Amino acid sequence: MTQLAVTGLYKAFGDHPVLAGVDLEVPAGSLTAILGPSGSGKTTLLRVLAGFERADAGTVTIGGSVVDGPGVYLPPERRRIGYVPQEGSLFPHLTVAANIGFGLPARQRRGPATAELLEAVGLAGLGRRYPHQLSGGQQQRVALARALAIGPKIVLLDEPFASLDAHLRASVRADVQGLLAKTGITGILVTHDQDEALSTADRVAVLRDGRIAQCDAPQDLYDRPADAGIARFIGDANLLDGVLEAGTVETILGRLPVEPGCLASPGPGPAHGRVTVLVRPEQVELRPGASPGRANGRPGAPAGQAGELAGRVVAYGYHGHDAVIHVRPEHDGAAPVIVVRTVGGDQLPPGSPVRLRARGPVLAWPHDATAP
Amino acid sequence: MTTSQTLRRPGPSSPGRAPAARPAVRARRARLPVALTAAGFAVAAVLTLPLVFLLIEARGAGAATVTHLIFRRLTADLLWNTVRLTVVVTVLCAVIGTAAAWCVERTNLPGRRVWAVLVVVPLAIPDFVVSFGWASLWTWVQGFRGAVVVMTLAVYPLVYLPVAASLRAADPGQEEVARSLGVGRARTFVRVTLAQARGAILGGCLLVALVLLAEYGAFEILGYQTFTTEIFTEFSVSFSVPAACALSLVLVALGLLVLAGEGMLRGGGRVSRSGPLAARQMPPHRLGRATLPVLAGFGLLTVLALGVPVGASVYWMVARSSHAILGVSLTSAALHTALYAASAGALATAAALPIALLAIRYTGRVRYFLERSTYLVLAMPGVVIAFALAYFSERYGGGLLYQSAPLLVICYSIMFFPLALVGVKASLARAPVSLDEMARSLGQRRLAVLWRVTLRLAGPGLAAAFCLVFLSVVTELTATLLLIPTGVQTLATQFWSYEQNLAYGQAAPFALVMIAVAALPSYVLGRFFDRSAHPHG
Repeated sequence: MTQLAVTGLYKAFGDHPVLAGVDLEVPAGSLTAILGPSGSGKTTLLRVLAGFERADAGTVTIGGSVVDGPGVYLPPERRRIGYVPQEGSLFPHLTVAANIGFGLPARQRRGPATAELLEAVGLAGLGRRYPHQLSGGQQQRVALARALAIGPKIVLLDEPFASLDAHLRASVRADVQGLLAKTGITGILVTHDQDEALSTADRVAVLRDGRIAQCDAPQDLYDRPADAGIARFIGDANLLDGVLEAGTVETILGRLPVEPGCLASPGPGPAHGRVTVLVRPEQVELRPGASPGRANGRPGAPAGQAGELAGRVVAYGYHGHDAVIHVRPEHDGAAPVIVVRTVGGDQLPPGSPVRLRARGPVLAWPHDATAP
Repeated sequence: MTTSQTLRRPGPSSPGRAPAARPAVRARRARLPVALTAAGFAVAAVLTLPLVFLLIEARGAGAATVTHLIFRRLTADLLWNTVRLTVVVTVLCAVIGTAAAWCVERTNLPGRRVWAVLVVVPLAIPDFVVSFGWASLWTWVQGFRGAVVVMTLAVYPLVYLPVAASLRAADPGQEEVARSLGVGRARTFVRVTLAQARGAILGGCLLVALVLLAEYGAFEILGYQTFTTEIFTEFSVSFSVPAACALSLVLVALGLLVLAGEGMLRGGGRVSRSGPLAARQMPPHRLGRATLPVLAGFGLLTVLALGVPVGASVYWMVARSSHAILGVSLTSAALHTALYAASAGALATAAALPIALLAIRYTGRVRYFLERSTYLVLAMPGVVIAFALAYFSERYGGGLLYQSAPLLVICYSIMFFPLALVGVKASLARAPVSLDEMARSLGQRRLAVLWRVTLRLAGPGLAAAFCLVFLSVVTELTATLLLIPTGVQTLATQFWSYEQNLAYGQAAPFALVMIAVAALPSYVLGRFFDRSAHPHG
């Protein structure tokens, strides 16, 4: 069942269109992330959903009834949408308990409901504190409890973890995820952090230039991005030129099999011709040392032996759990630097000779869609 | 890893993603709430009423009469008197106020906290009491020379306060950076420190100039003739309405000129702070061998600005007072003063709310027009507002309002509206709109949000605005003399009638009570603005 449906949403500030026809469906009980770079209109979309802004055109439907559309506008106080803003926005003049009870009818404010919510967000006993006496993570938890207190069907989370430090972020995020799952409330999480979106949400909607460019489950989004731009945005990506021929593609990393059906949509893709190929960094294997056949540096075929590409390390980024290595192909100065992700292995100082080999299958799009 | 953070735009011909034609956009704008806008227009209308009255009267008198009244010798003399005094006192105040602020905020001056208070206290002493203090002790204090001395000592805190605040808030790291870039101490002071405080200095000078244009009592005591004293005389002594009207128009024009000048000088000057890093304190400048001279300077300033008027009042009270009837009239005058001041404080603060809300929360032409129209009041001295209200209430109000308490309170509220607006705007800035939205998303209607969030957060600031107006009404003389209900005396008018009859002994206690009454709100104000400078401090 669809809890929230957005169709053809437009919103401009002055002459500057921020939302240019957003279409989005959010299933009930899911946690959907809206992912986009800063300035892509994420927060504007959220503010329209909450009712703080009115759309210029398009409709917003919540639980089957239109809340914003031609001739219809439901003010925020009548939408029953929980809202957790980035900075928490706790009322500084009220205690934690009074903050949580703010949206309840006067008689219930001092009731057990606030204490239960405090406990649910792991802050039992802090009801008498004031917001400035809480840490950032605690403030976010209170903001969430306050939003849940009114019994919303949907909770909007506007980059609620952005201001927290790394390990706190993980724990608050997990708690939010758990709480939403337990209560069955539909969550919409706005973020510019792709790791956060991929790891937290059931579905990720990529917002680009005021539209939803793709909306899919996290793994589908990573494995099957709709175009090269999204591929580049979601995770690291090597986008290589290639020539398609009979289900395989010829690239500087050798001839690689193409994912069946990836060219079937959108539209009738070319069965052959110039394409852009996506090779994820973890699809590339790296072996240290020069390729044996080319030890004397003789310029020769692009791939040395058995589809291997010789190159030299230009940058080595160590991340503990893995390492990201940038390799410049040796034979061709104009060729793009290839990004490789390895698990373990030795430190490779810049200049070290290495050999690369890719594992298929890969994705490919008609050349135009790369739009570098 | 940067590649993953940039999302590429699709190419111009990406299949299936051609930009759809923009559908017909429904007429939706971020509209102003109707009730708020209506309230704003009502306030702006009342505020501009005196000016409208003036223009109507000028039209009624006929262009020829008005031109004749404006272009005569008297106007030129008044212009010369008003302008030269304004220029000299403004410059002196700028120098004294800025120097004092810099010494208190940025140097290791001994006893800085005490000086910070003593330097500001003269603001609580009405200008005409300072004038009385000096003129009653020394006969040479009169005319231009006397006016320069008295007014400089009375109003320099108007420059000190904003400059001190801006020096407190400015990033001292910028001075360090300038020094590290090879700029010397003196040039750093000019190019960085003064530049940081430029807006505050200009703002202070604007206030000083406007006070000088509006001052009546002090000049009357000193026998110095300006537009304001002449308008007062024309209206209340000669009953020459066309002459008062013509002179008022010139005075309002002068006020507008001062406002425009300040706006132009302020120009593109922007003071920006680079993030929260700047909260750091810088070690104060060492005064070294200059310590003693600077201390002597502060001591002299305190004696002249505070010691002389207070001392003179105490002297006259002790030497000449007759205590017989004093108690009763003092109590009655104090009560009336407090009543009028509290009413005007409440009215002006309430009237400032819609304008401040519009100014802070909304943008657009209507908002801009409303806020600007309230600026006009700044250019209208109290005597002009009082004269316009008095004349029109007498002529068209059927005598019902003229010299009635409501008209006096309305007059005060118009005069001190700009002060209330400053306070209310500062207080609303502490209640960000995001909290309002939050409250609405929690199911609260607009009015409930206003009551449960906005006003709670803005409360202390609203109290400050109230105090600011209260303080100003207590020490107001000009409009009060023109509009006070018959048979009633305030502290100021009672002081004035004794002073004018040379009954210094009787006048002095009223001066001291005024100072005491005004000092309390000043203290509250100081506390408030200190706290807003250091939230959670």
